[in-house]
Amino acid sequence: MAKTIPVKIKRQDTPHDGSRWETFDVPYESGMNVTTVLQRIAANPMTAEQQSSTPVAYDACCLEEICGACTMVINGRVRQACSALVDDLLQEQADSIELQPMTKFPVVRDLVVNRQPMFNSLSKVKAWVRVDGYHDMGSGPRVSEATQEEAYPLSRCMTCGCCVEACPQFNDHSPFIGPAAISQAILFNSHPTGAVDREDRLAVLSDAGGIADCGNSQNCVKVCPKEIPLTDSIAKAGRDTTLYKIRQWFGR
Amino acid sequence: MQQVGSPASGEKYHFLIRRLHSATGLVPVGIFLCIHLVTNATVLLPGDPGYEFQKSVERIHALGPLLVPVEIIGIFVPLLFHSLLGVQIILTGKSNAQQYRYGSNIRYTLQRTTGFIAFAFILYHVWQVHWFGKPVGGGQFSLHDEAGNPAGAATTAAAIQAAWWIAPIYAIGVVSTVYHLANGIWTSLITWGITIRPKSQKTAGYICAAFGVVLTLIGLGALSGFRTLSIDSEDVHTKNTTHTVSRHVP
Repeated sequence: MAKTIPVKIKRQDTPHDGSRWETFDVPYESGMNVTTVLQRIAANPMTAEQQSSTPVAYDACCLEEICGACTMVINGRVRQACSALVDDLLQEQADSIELQPMTKFPVVRDLVVNRQPMFNSLSKVKAWVRVDGYHDMGSGPRVSEATQEEAYPLSRCMTCGCCVEACPQFNDHSPFIGPAAISQAILFNSHPTGAVDREDRLAVLSDAGGIADCGNSQNCVKVCPKEIPLTDSIAKAGRDTTLYKIRQWFGR
Repeated sequence: MQQVGSPASGEKYHFLIRRLHSATGLVPVGIFLCIHLVTNATVLLPGDPGYEFQKSVERIHALGPLLVPVEIIGIFVPLLFHSLLGVQIILTGKSNAQQYRYGSNIRYTLQRTTGFIAFAFILYHVWQVHWFGKPVGGGQFSLHDEAGNPAGAATTAAAIQAAWWIAPIYAIGVVSTVYHLANGIWTSLITWGITIRPKSQKTAGYICAAFGVVLTLIGLGALSGFRTLSIDSEDVHTKNTTHTVSRHVP
């Protein structure tokens, strides 16, 4: 008989329902990832106790760790289902796989969460380069190679939510906007055209919920799947807001 | 329930208050802690037991009538501000060091735990070294003891710490307070934007750790110094000689 893996999943039917745990025995296939596991469960939603259940709802999109949609807490650690390989997971924890939705966002259903707070934070820090229209404005300003090299790693952020999920300061009784938004503010401040909104971004970062609410646990940088130097951005935000406030208080 | 990740605007002085929290921890409170522990450690200096400590305390008391205002404005007010705001900051966090066992995350949790312990310990300590601290195993710390011996400050300090159960309380209090300061210096270097790269943060980490170890040794050394100081009560009452205090080697 083929080897099966017990997969324990935290389930919730609607945003208002309570949650429950269900275990599914999934036949092992070499090279499978967690998304495959969820597909196999959808094909045969029978619990380990041979009770008929429903397919587990989950998000998935790019399947190559680019979009961030399938982010969930796998074996107690937040990461993407697509790049979480079952072989690796069994190395970490031999007997089973445990899946649960991210805890810092409202659950829509099962493993699907609403990451809207992440996007709200991005709009608060104006995480974009402002353009006045779609007419030809000629070539943009020159960006030095050094700035490009600083900016590129920050631009890899896919707003997946790993950093805020692991952050002890991001929770329902703290206004902290989280590492991703802070890092994006630093990214767009470093852009010559984006820097037009620099002061507005620093105003948000030095408000309640901004940089002052970071507790320096540095979990963000360790769980970030895109290896973004989030703590560099946080420290830069500390420096920039200090200078910004000094300019504000003493006049520029 | 507050919406996750939504800055509550309108707290006009949020940034200023948090930076003052960082600054007060370093400048009046942190520096005071160093001076306090180093002063205590002079009890270990060779010569007549307690003599160097007596001189150190006399230098502090040379401020005369200014001493109490300096204590209140320079130490108690910043300390209370730092502590009370610190408790509020602790309440905004949800520690997850069990789940994410990274060194920096464990330090984050320890910073909050030791902050709490340090606050409780300092309240106890201040209570304990005054005359009204007698019910908690303490007594009045004074520049001169009743017998008027030349190392009165050391004998009163030793007497306050004489009960056996005071030693572990003080040891835990000192270690927690020193950890909180050493790790606080490390995080403040990030907060103020001085150490940005992981490499500079790592270097700062080694320096802060070394500072913490040295200050812990100074603090614990001072505690053992006071514990090994024996007060010869007969001498105190009969003749006011310099030999009323001696050191016993355990």
